[in-house]
Amino acid sequence: MLGEILHILAAAIISWILFVTVDIFFRLPEAGGVSGASAIARDIEAGGGALAGGTMMGNIVCSPDASAGTLLAACGVYVAGIPGGLAAAALVFIGNRICHDPGYAGTTGAVLATFVVYASTLVGFSATDFIAGMVIAILTIQGLSHTHASRLLARLWRVRQ
Amino acid sequence: MIIALQVAFGLVALLGAASTALIRDSYGKVISLGVLVAGILPFIVDRGYVDVAITVSLIAPIATIFILMAVRRAEA
Amino acid sequence: MIALYIVAGVAVFAAIRVIVERNTGRKLPYANVLNFAVAGTIVLLLNHPLALVAAAAYFVGSTLEANAVASTYAGGMKR
Repeated sequence: MLGEILHILAAAIISWILFVTVDIFFRLPEAGGVSGASAIARDIEAGGGALAGGTMMGNIVCSPDASAGTLLAACGVYVAGIPGGLAAAALVFIGNRICHDPGYAGTTGAVLATFVVYASTLVGFSATDFIAGMVIAILTIQGLSHTHASRLLARLWRVRQ
Repeated sequence: MIIALQVAFGLVALLGAASTALIRDSYGKVISLGVLVAGILPFIVDRGYVDVAITVSLIAPIATIFILMAVRRAEA
Repeated sequence: MIALYIVAGVAVFAAIRVIVERNTGRKLPYANVLNFAVAGTIVLLLNHPLALVAAAAYFVGSTLEANAVASTYAGGMKR
């Protein structure tokens, strides 16, 4: 049981790095993709957070991004291996367009995550570890402290610039 | 479904229902409806009604968007 | 399995935080966590390709709903 918990924590760290990197690469903290994301960013800033981090968190709420892509890819790999993961990537792509998001952060995250999760299953992880791990990762960004998370994301965004 | 999971999602559904009734703010009510639907969906899936789950998860957000439009008209 | 317990725990935690938070703009990220957790639960409960479709449909639907709430809260869709 302890082994599985350690696997889940490791999967959480891997998923966190994966989705934050892809989202920052696709410039999610730069501007609100839709007006709703800017509204969320404003409220997070009013609560003491950083605007760039808040913008990224707002974008995560308003459209499937790399975090959603990673979660659904892990679900896809669990259900049907690599074809399942790629099918999940296709579903994320459709979801992006339904939400009026012209970007590719979600699809890219899903495709990358498919291969990362599958490779991990070859070295002792199971896809369910990544499902739980991704949920923990998104909890740390959106569910614990908005002020601290947005400041951390803003600092990472400054590194990219 | 194991008991712990039934309790957990039953709690989520109950919290969603209670807060929809008790919260005064309109946006809060709409978001609480989302919490309610989130709580009941695992029960639907667990029984094997996956097609019902897909239908509910497509229709419920559309329904809440209609409620949202009514909220906006009431505010204006 | 442990993953199911963890995801259910996160769901309850996120649901409580959604309700307790007063500001709408800050409620939405907590609701987003809840949506992630429920999407994960759907697939963990039923290991079948249709469950993947259900999880994706639920996630896209809940994201669309959160998007609509955020846009209306912001004062209307910017064209």
